[in-house]
Amino acid sequence: MQTAESRPFWEWPLKILVTIILIPKKFLDWAMNSEAFLGYLFILPSLIGFIAFFAYPAVRSVYISTLEWNLLTPAKHVGDDNYQFIYHDERFREALKTTVYYVLYNIPLQTLLALMIAVMMDKVHNSSFLRGIFVLPWLLPNVVVALLWLWMMDPSLGIINQALKQVGIGEQGFLGDPDQVIQSLAAINIWRHAGYTSILVFAGLKTIPKGLYEAAAIDGAGEIQKFLRITIPLLRPVLSFVLVTSVIGSFQVFDTIAITTEGGPAGSSRVILYYIYEQVFERRIHMGTASAASVVLFLILFTVTAIQMTFLRAGKSDLAEYS
Amino acid sequence: MFNKKGFKLLLIVVLVALTFSAVMTTRAQDSVTVKYVLWDTNQLPAYQACADAFTAANPSIKIEIEQLGWDDYWTAITTGFISGDAPDVFTDHLAKYPEFVVLEQLVDLQPFVERDEVATDIYYPGLADLWTKDGARYGLPKDWDTVAIVYNKALVEAAGIDPATLNDLTWNPEDGGTFEQVIAQLTIDANGNNGLSPDFDKENVVQYGFTPGGMGGGYGQTEWSWLAVANGFTFNNGTWGDEYYYDDPALASTIQWMADLWLEKGYSPNLAEQQGLGRSALFQAGNIGFVVDGSWMIGTYVASDFEVGFARLPAGPNGRKSMFNGLADSIWVGSKHIEESWQWVKFLGSADCQTIVGQSGVVFPAIPDAATLSLQVRADAGVDVSAFVDQANEEGGTFLFPITDWGGEISTIMTETMDSIGLGEADAASALKDANDEVNSLFQ
Amino acid sequence: MMATLSKLQVKRFTRETTNHEPKKRISGSRILMWLFLILLLFVTIFPLYWVIRTAVTPPKKVYSEARALAPSDPTTQNIERVLGLISDEELTALVKKNPTISAGKLDFLHFVKNSCIVAGAITAGQTFFSSLAAYAFARLRFPLRNLIFYSYLGGLMVPSIVLFIPNFVLIRNMEWIGTYKGMIAPTFLMTPFAVFFMRQFFLNLNTDLEEAAKLDGATHAGIFLKIAMPLSKGPIFTLAILTFITSWNEYLWPFLVGRDEKVRVLTVALSVFRSQTPQGGPDWAGLMAGTIVAVIPTFLLFIFLGRKVVDSIQFSGFK
Repeated sequence: MQTAESRPFWEWPLKILVTIILIPKKFLDWAMNSEAFLGYLFILPSLIGFIAFFAYPAVRSVYISTLEWNLLTPAKHVGDDNYQFIYHDERFREALKTTVYYVLYNIPLQTLLALMIAVMMDKVHNSSFLRGIFVLPWLLPNVVVALLWLWMMDPSLGIINQALKQVGIGEQGFLGDPDQVIQSLAAINIWRHAGYTSILVFAGLKTIPKGLYEAAAIDGAGEIQKFLRITIPLLRPVLSFVLVTSVIGSFQVFDTIAITTEGGPAGSSRVILYYIYEQVFERRIHMGTASAASVVLFLILFTVTAIQMTFLRAGKSDLAEYS
Repeated sequence: MFNKKGFKLLLIVVLVALTFSAVMTTRAQDSVTVKYVLWDTNQLPAYQACADAFTAANPSIKIEIEQLGWDDYWTAITTGFISGDAPDVFTDHLAKYPEFVVLEQLVDLQPFVERDEVATDIYYPGLADLWTKDGARYGLPKDWDTVAIVYNKALVEAAGIDPATLNDLTWNPEDGGTFEQVIAQLTIDANGNNGLSPDFDKENVVQYGFTPGGMGGGYGQTEWSWLAVANGFTFNNGTWGDEYYYDDPALASTIQWMADLWLEKGYSPNLAEQQGLGRSALFQAGNIGFVVDGSWMIGTYVASDFEVGFARLPAGPNGRKSMFNGLADSIWVGSKHIEESWQWVKFLGSADCQTIVGQSGVVFPAIPDAATLSLQVRADAGVDVSAFVDQANEEGGTFLFPITDWGGEISTIMTETMDSIGLGEADAASALKDANDEVNSLFQ
Repeated sequence: MMATLSKLQVKRFTRETTNHEPKKRISGSRILMWLFLILLLFVTIFPLYWVIRTAVTPPKKVYSEARALAPSDPTTQNIERVLGLISDEELTALVKKNPTISAGKLDFLHFVKNSCIVAGAITAGQTFFSSLAAYAFARLRFPLRNLIFYSYLGGLMVPSIVLFIPNFVLIRNMEWIGTYKGMIAPTFLMTPFAVFFMRQFFLNLNTDLEEAAKLDGATHAGIFLKIAMPLSKGPIFTLAILTFITSWNEYLWPFLVGRDEKVRVLTVALSVFRSQTPQGGPDWAGLMAGTIVAVIPTFLLFIFLGRKVVDSIQFSGFK
């Protein structure tokens, strides 16, 4: 039995309940109509969560990036040494390059495929079963997906090479070949995420009033014109959301690599997050270097996102112009 | 009307949910439970039996064993150190423990050993010393491993080779000796020609003679260390040394010979093919003649879909050499029950527990009698693994794992370097020289 | 091409939710689309077939028949083993014979229960609190609004690895290791993703109704509860499902915080089938059998609720 808990669990909720009942009516009238009060009230819970689990650790890691610290023995202030170190570290620069390659292979293809699947579900056949199938890869745990593809892509025992051999293309190195490893990793994650992304896009497609297409058809617009002039602009809020979040996610690719290649062969798949991971878990614990690298990654992502948001005007919807 | 009620309702929901998320409970803690972790499921039953025996003799100390797969084990240990939540006692590895010593995470057992007059000479010679530094002792040995040849019996016999002759192979980095001849003989192309035939087509191989199963990074325990050391290579200037000799030509010629098996000769799958699912998977697929692997993998190989056998390593210019590696049990400095943990570690290192482990026939315990027992248990089951034990018992047949500071960084550097040699991107001599400079600069 | 005008109008103005599909013309482009769809389906499904294939392969044959499309000797033993349907003695005997298979099994219902508790609590909390915040960011004006929102967005860009050590230490200081709370806490109140997601949908919401309500003297709280929430049922539902599945599949955090048998979730339980020794391979057959078992709950959830998600989004604009 747990003896430490002497107070009944309902004590706090009860207190709160009583307090709320006692809130003066006047205050309530004011509060409900005050946008600012309501705004702060609405964001309060999320703000607590944000500060405790995101902001505080993040800000602290900026501070840690100026330390030489292994988390276990006392830290030493080293100024910008950690930044100097990663700036001169060949492996860090390679990791940056590798990450950018990965994003470039991953995002355009994934978004395009998602868009196509969504449009096809809209135009050709739509059933929750079909959606279920496309989203299935995303339902599998990350670890399993990575292992599954490691198995299927294995150069000598994998089914994919078996198939390629049969059709005469010849066997490939995939994850074991430095020239193919990034593409292979991108392919795995496209497989896992394209269906999921298409569901988001599909949801966005469904918010487009069908009347708009009708009006355009009456004006004599073709399918392609309708797609370019109605679908794409009206999908912008959803698309910008999808792009912003998937680009950020793509820059932070890690799990798949940790399970399949561990940054290899010969360091060819060491992305930034794997570099950071190595600094903490594979090498001696270099919390300072890891934090400095994280700060750099953050700045990169911040810039990329800012550019995307400006370019895509994510905050505005075009729907207003039509309705 | 609705608005006010709704608003109140909303407030209540928000605050109640917030409160629930903040209500704290304290967990009651048992007085003396020693937490112990290990990574091998197959060893769990034996150590559970040890724990039962231990608790029977020491009723006041309970042992809680947790098993974590190798993939997650070290992440969990490291995170435990950081958060102050690591297990009291854990199975420790030679490649990891120097790091933990530097980070001051391990209890020095020497005062306990002296106080309780624990004999450390009951183990295989050298094993206990692997865990000492500057008079301090960071673990008591639990088991050891060596490497040996694992062969596919049917393939060897089909090539007209008497499996017994595999025990007497010789090797040198120039022509590969009889070792390379056997490899060639076991390599067969699509037309049925073996690697010794002048018509051998190395682009179209259907069965490979041998594969190291990866480049082995900085230690190459199962990949190249047994060749390199047999060729006269020494890793460094001794246990806890501060200078590595990766630029030794004896290593370069070994590694180049190995890489040429697939880069030049077509006797082994290429590096990409080796690295995917690993050595045992490739071997168990059934088209590799033989591999070299560690004694902890015996059970896996025996479970192949075909009959396997074990044979001694080839003899190089400098003799027959296997790395002698061992595990030990260490105590974490943050443990709240160091005395009880020590009692448990002492028991784990004793003949009582090691006999139980030996009887399970999964690993070779650090005490020779218990190891012999393990050998016997397996012989009774029809598996002859004497190749591993003979290697350990042979005078000068083993060398120790190179324990030094900076193990993690060395691994990172050497894995990249070895990979690039295996991929044919760099030649062994120059790549190893550069890598050695980088490794040695760590110690400055 | 899609529908006749009158049909659409009927649908739009009577909110009729008939499943009757208008007749489609068969054209060249439609056939092409179908072909492409089938190709995509094949690529999507084949790896899943491979999961099933491997799950019914006898462990001994996993490598020797690695390249066969189907095992020569399929067995249900792996699934029985994973579900604990075979006796402990039998399992011990199996493992003794073949140490590449894991001695682990899934106490399926127990782990599913834990996964449901953890994923359910996270979903409820995160969806509700994030929607609240998102509405505020999209519709209400208050000082520092944009600054706060963009810092949330910034939270999305902080590498998770930087967050996870301090968070782990925090949870540990709260003595929440080994509890549901510890697993739930970090994502219970918000994730930047959820807030961002809902904000985008609220922004896209037609403001006419809200303006009308305002003219009628409704308060902001009333508008949120009576108009915005019901109108956004679809997106909220979608977010809930996404959150549920994401939490269900979470691995590293529950592994570190909730390894205790009592609170262990399904994904963590699956790790007993991963490689147990250095250089050993995973227990492929067991892992894949376990995966099938683990994915069934989320798949069913998606099939049954997935229709609702999209349908409710479809009509949300017209209610």
